[in-house]
Amino acid sequence: MSHLDPPQPLVGGRIVRPYTMTGGRTITESPLIALEALVASTPEGMRQRRRFRWEAAEIISRSRRETAVVELAALLAVPVGVVRVLADDLRAEGAVTITDPPSVLVTEPGGEVYTDLLHKVLDGIKSL
Amino acid sequence: MESNHSDRSALTPVKIVVAGGFGVGKTTFVGAISEIEPLRSEAIITEASAGVDELFGDGTKTMTTVAMDFGRISLKHDLVLYLFGTPGQDRFHFMWNELARGAIGAVVLVDTRRVEASFAAIDFFEKRGTPFVVAMNTFHGRKLHSIEDVRHALQVGSGTPIVYCDARVRVDVQRVLVTLVEHALDLASTGVAVQ
Repeated sequence: MSHLDPPQPLVGGRIVRPYTMTGGRTITESPLIALEALVASTPEGMRQRRRFRWEAAEIISRSRRETAVVELAALLAVPVGVVRVLADDLRAEGAVTITDPPSVLVTEPGGEVYTDLLHKVLDGIKSL
Repeated sequence: MESNHSDRSALTPVKIVVAGGFGVGKTTFVGAISEIEPLRSEAIITEASAGVDELFGDGTKTMTTVAMDFGRISLKHDLVLYLFGTPGQDRFHFMWNELARGAIGAVVLVDTRRVEASFAAIDFFEKRGTPFVVAMNTFHGRKLHSIEDVRHALQVGSGTPIVYCDARVRVDVQRVLVTLVEHALDLASTGVAVQ
């Protein structure tokens, strides 16, 4: 039989098939959202959050403060892929925005934009 | 009203990968400097492909769960730095691609008693062209090898920084991260491709 049949125990001991949480969706249609991409709920999302399922509503609530995809997955105790699918859907509905990491957007790592970013990161770490 | 919506999207996320053999101290390293207790999240992956987080396979591939530990550090300039520990087991190496994508660079932690456990990580970042530094984790202050011995054993070029650190000590971890970003800057300004 298929390995998909038994319920999959997830972190935190919840027994739910990921498939159920995403309404049968498998992977996101847009390019894979980075693990560290920041999700931020919109005022509209906050107003509408009760009409979403628990996981999606939680993503909206917890993203009042910008929170990474991977962090949401840990906090909700669901696999990263579930957050990717739900966050992508919520973005399509205008309930959240997603900030991609600049290092993915910058196509020329040797370029000035990238070295500016690295200088800021360096300064930030030194200032800790 | 949600007052914090006014500065929505003000933050920029960046990432550094912490790699090395199983049990070398990656999560300790992350935890020493993270502003949150290191969190663990899981990805469901298909072992037969490099695809990460497909919720469904096609029924012919083995689905497995990979755990990764990570921490967060808020930096000035509205940056938020995520530190990711790679899954330790060798069979999860393909997960490293996902972690390395878009990373500023990597710290390869080395246990002075088991240098060979970090060979795979070094191979991976060298091939991928990801800037990395080697950090010798000296628990209890032991320095069993000189830097030059380690460089020879690991076969890393003189351009790759090798430093000592105690992964439990915040200033040590901070110094390693500074060394890494400086190294990434050197490579970036000399036009060596990252990504």
